[in-house]
Amino acid sequence: MSLFGLFRRGDLHSLAAPYALDALDADERRRFERHLSGCDRCAAEVRAMTEDAVRLAWSTAAPPPAAMRERVLAAVQRTPQETSRAPVRDRSPQLPPHVWGTQPPPRRSHAPRARRPLFVPLATATAAAALVVASLFAVQAGRAQDRLAAERAQAREIAHVLAAPDARAGNGKAAEGGNIGVIASASEGQAIVTLSGYDALPAGRVHQLWLMRPDAQPRSLGLLAGDTPLVATGLDKAATSLAVTVEPAGGSRQPTTQPVVQLTLKSVGFGE
Amino acid sequence: MEADELLVLVAGGDQRAFERLYALVSGPVFGLVRRVVRDPAQSEEVAQEVLLEAWRSAGRFDPNRGSALSWILTLAHRRAVDRVRSARAAVDREQREASRYHDPAFDQVAEEVEAGLERQLVRRCLTRLTALQRQSVTLAYYDGYTYREVADRLSLPLGTVKTRMRDGLTRLRDCLGGAA
Repeated sequence: MSLFGLFRRGDLHSLAAPYALDALDADERRRFERHLSGCDRCAAEVRAMTEDAVRLAWSTAAPPPAAMRERVLAAVQRTPQETSRAPVRDRSPQLPPHVWGTQPPPRRSHAPRARRPLFVPLATATAAAALVVASLFAVQAGRAQDRLAAERAQAREIAHVLAAPDARAGNGKAAEGGNIGVIASASEGQAIVTLSGYDALPAGRVHQLWLMRPDAQPRSLGLLAGDTPLVATGLDKAATSLAVTVEPAGGSRQPTTQPVVQLTLKSVGFGE
Repeated sequence: MEADELLVLVAGGDQRAFERLYALVSGPVFGLVRRVVRDPAQSEEVAQEVLLEAWRSAGRFDPNRGSALSWILTLAHRRAVDRVRSARAAVDREQREASRYHDPAFDQVAEEVEAGLERQLVRRCLTRLTALQRQSVTLAYYDGYTYREVADRLSLPLGTVKTRMRDGLTRLRDCLGGAA
């Protein structure tokens, strides 16, 4: 290595403390992070110093405004999570032993294929998927970048549900002509839900989607905005039905009105 | 349940776990952001972004590499620093200095939430640092200055500031010891 190279490395290494304190500008931060990925000693040092810096953070704790909680929780309900679709095998080293035990996790692709035939004719499923895809890409020009990123993430989630071997479509109609459509995968515990045929709600009212389970309170799956599809995750197999209620803006913790439409999930592989 | 376990549940889409995590971390997150950003409205905005970011990217948390609290507070600090730097770039420097050191509202809040032992311990340990170590660490961490700006403000060479930061953190660690 050239003398200059040695100097550069030493120089970069001395940035560990400023890095742990977030005292690098954006360019230096990037440069140092590149260096960090190839330097185990620096990584260990940075980790230790970051813990020190966090002690400085702890001592500043202050109660946040009460309204912040509701805002954050409401935002969480309608914000899809980043999903890593890398094979589970590749992610396992990052997961703690208490999650996976000592056995490697089963690979997703080995999940047993559902034996039962598709409940709904494929054409219906395809039409529902087309509806989902169409409304997904009805993106107005000029929307903020993060909105676009959120929709891309949602598109990935939807693609993921559609690709599940046991994905099935179901449909529920309300007396008033409203309609709830679902494509769900019991093995993935996910469902894409769309609501259609409803007039716009008065200001300050929203449609909220609930998961109904035996011996448990309804669980909010989020707010339905117009006919934009909602991707619900973490559905347990015991789930019996979906219900939609009209709630005050921001949603409620528990339903406060009678459902406007309901859909049993047995037809899409749940409730076992 | 500890924040670490909760964050693992949150990564699986568990909203109840997120509510419990919120109860544990919202105070530290908000306090830290507020310490750096100072403006109450902007602090709230940044704190909300951070908590939502924790929900969105919980899957990236690796318990083998540190605690959930460190992960979230590191995220919060980074966001707060980014915000204060872009605000700083926009605001007249002198005007900002004037408001920074005469902010009774903030001092009052700081007193109100005097958070017991940990806060006192950190303060006491900060006094054990040399003046230059302390200033280098706090100007960077609590005020969001880059080490180049710190060097500028303290009229020190860059290398000296980097060393003071490292020594300051090391001495802080020794003083805080294992006392959590």
